[in-house]
Amino acid sequence: MSLTSAQRTPPVVSFGQQLKLIVTQGVRAELADRERLLSPLLFAATIMILFAFTLGDVDPSFRVKVFLAQTFLTLFLALQISFARIFEPDTQDRVFDLMRTCPLHSEAWYLGKFILVLITGTLILLPTFLLGGLLHSQDASPLLTWQMTLTLFLTLFGLASLGVLLSAMTMRALARQIIFPLLYFPLTTPVLLAAVQASEIALVGNSGDETFNAWLTLLAGFDVIYFTLGILLFGSLVEPS
Amino acid sequence: MLKATQLGFSFRSRHLFRNVSFTVRPGQLLHLRGPNGAGKTTLMAVLAGLLAPVHGSVDYVIEPDGKRTTEAEGVPDPKRWIEYLPAEANGHFLRMDALTNIRFWGKLRGHTIPEDQLTVTLRAWDLDHKWLRFGFPVEKFSTGMKRRLALARLSLSEAPCFLLDEPLYGLDDAAIKMFQTMLRAHLNRGGLGVIISHDTVPIRDLVTEVLAIGSVAASQQHAPVSS
Repeated sequence: MSLTSAQRTPPVVSFGQQLKLIVTQGVRAELADRERLLSPLLFAATIMILFAFTLGDVDPSFRVKVFLAQTFLTLFLALQISFARIFEPDTQDRVFDLMRTCPLHSEAWYLGKFILVLITGTLILLPTFLLGGLLHSQDASPLLTWQMTLTLFLTLFGLASLGVLLSAMTMRALARQIIFPLLYFPLTTPVLLAAVQASEIALVGNSGDETFNAWLTLLAGFDVIYFTLGILLFGSLVEPS
Repeated sequence: MLKATQLGFSFRSRHLFRNVSFTVRPGQLLHLRGPNGAGKTTLMAVLAGLLAPVHGSVDYVIEPDGKRTTEAEGVPDPKRWIEYLPAEANGHFLRMDALTNIRFWGKLRGHTIPEDQLTVTLRAWDLDHKWLRFGFPVEKFSTGMKRRLALARLSLSEAPCFLLDEPLYGLDDAAIKMFQTMLRAHLNRGGLGVIISHDTVPIRDLVTEVLAIGSVAASQQHAPVSS
C-alpha cells in the first residue's frame, strides 16, 4: 500500500543548511539593494569629514581621544542605521510571517542574521576606522595591531548581538519606530565605554596589559550576555503570540 | 489530518471566535465562510502557527497506514506538514527574481527542485520567460503574476496540508483554471487543505467541508454536492 501525501513525512532541513540559507539569502538581499549598505557608509564619511573640518588642527595630546570619540560615535550611529534595517527585506510581502510558518530553528535564524550583520558591520567599520585615522593623521600601524583588531571585533560582536535582537523586536512591536533607539542607545553604552577604553590603551599603549585585559574582559562579558539574550529571546519573538 | 479542538481567540475584550472544532482528512478541502471581520483570516493565522489561540489546540495527526503506524499520532512539528498562503501577500523577496524566490522557499522546506521541474512549473503558470525567471525583480510583476508565482511555489511543495487565504485574489481565468487543476491534483494525492474565498464558484467542485464563522461559535458541515 503506497503512502498518501498526508502520511508521507516531509523532509527535514538540518540546522547548518538552514543557517547557510539564511546567510546566503541575506547576502543576496544586500546585493539586490546596494543602497542599504551604501547609505550608512556615506553617512559615516560625511560625519567624519564634518568633525574633522569643524575641529581643525587638534592638540597632539588630545588627538587619540578625539579620534576615538569621533570614530566610535560615527560607527555607533552608522551601524544603528544598518542594524535597524537588517529585517527590511523580510518585511516586504510578509516574508517574515511566512518564515515563521516554516520549520525553521529560531537559533539558526538568529545566527544567520547575526553573521550577516557581522559581514555588513565589518564593511562599514573598516572604512570608517581607516578614514578616521587618515583624517586625524594617525599612524596606520597601531590600527592594525592584534589588540585593536580584537577590540573592534568584540565591539562589533556586542553591537550586532543587540542589533539583531532589537531589530526583530521592532518587527513585532506596536511602537516600532521608537523601540530601537530607546533600547539600543542605553544598552550599548557599556560596550562602547569598554571599547573606547580598550582602544585608547591599544593605541597609546601606556597603561599596560592588565588594564587592557580588564577592559577587554568587560567587553567580552557584555558580548556573551547580549549574544545569549539574543539567542534566548529571538525564539519568543518568532513563536506564535 | 488537521485537527482543531475547541479553538478560541479574542483580541482585547472582543471574542472573535470560540469553541471552533473541526477535522480535515486527506483528500478533503474545508471552506471557511463568513462575513468580513468574522475572524476567518485570524483563524487561518492560528492554524498556520502565527497566532497562539486563547483556548484550544491545533494538531496535525498522522492516520494509521496499517504498516508503519497502527494508531493515529500527532506530529511534533506541524510546521513541516503545513504550507500557508496569506491573503493579499505572497511572501516574495520583492527585489529578487522568480527563480531565487522559489528556490529559497523550496530549500527552506528541504525540497530540492530540479531545474526542468522548475521550468515546467513556471511555464504552467505562464511565467516562463527568461526575463521573468532570471534577473527580473518580482516587485515589477503585476498583482496577478505575483499571486501566480506564489501558487507555483505551492504547487512544488511537498507539504500535505495547504492553508489558502483568498488564493484567487488577482488571478485571471486561465490562472484560476490552473489553480483548480493544481488543487484537485493535491487532494487526489491524499493532500488536504483549508481555504478562505469569497469567490465561491471556482472552488465549488473542490470543497468537501464547510465551516461557517460569523456567530461566536462555528460548526463543521459537509459541503452540499454541486450539480
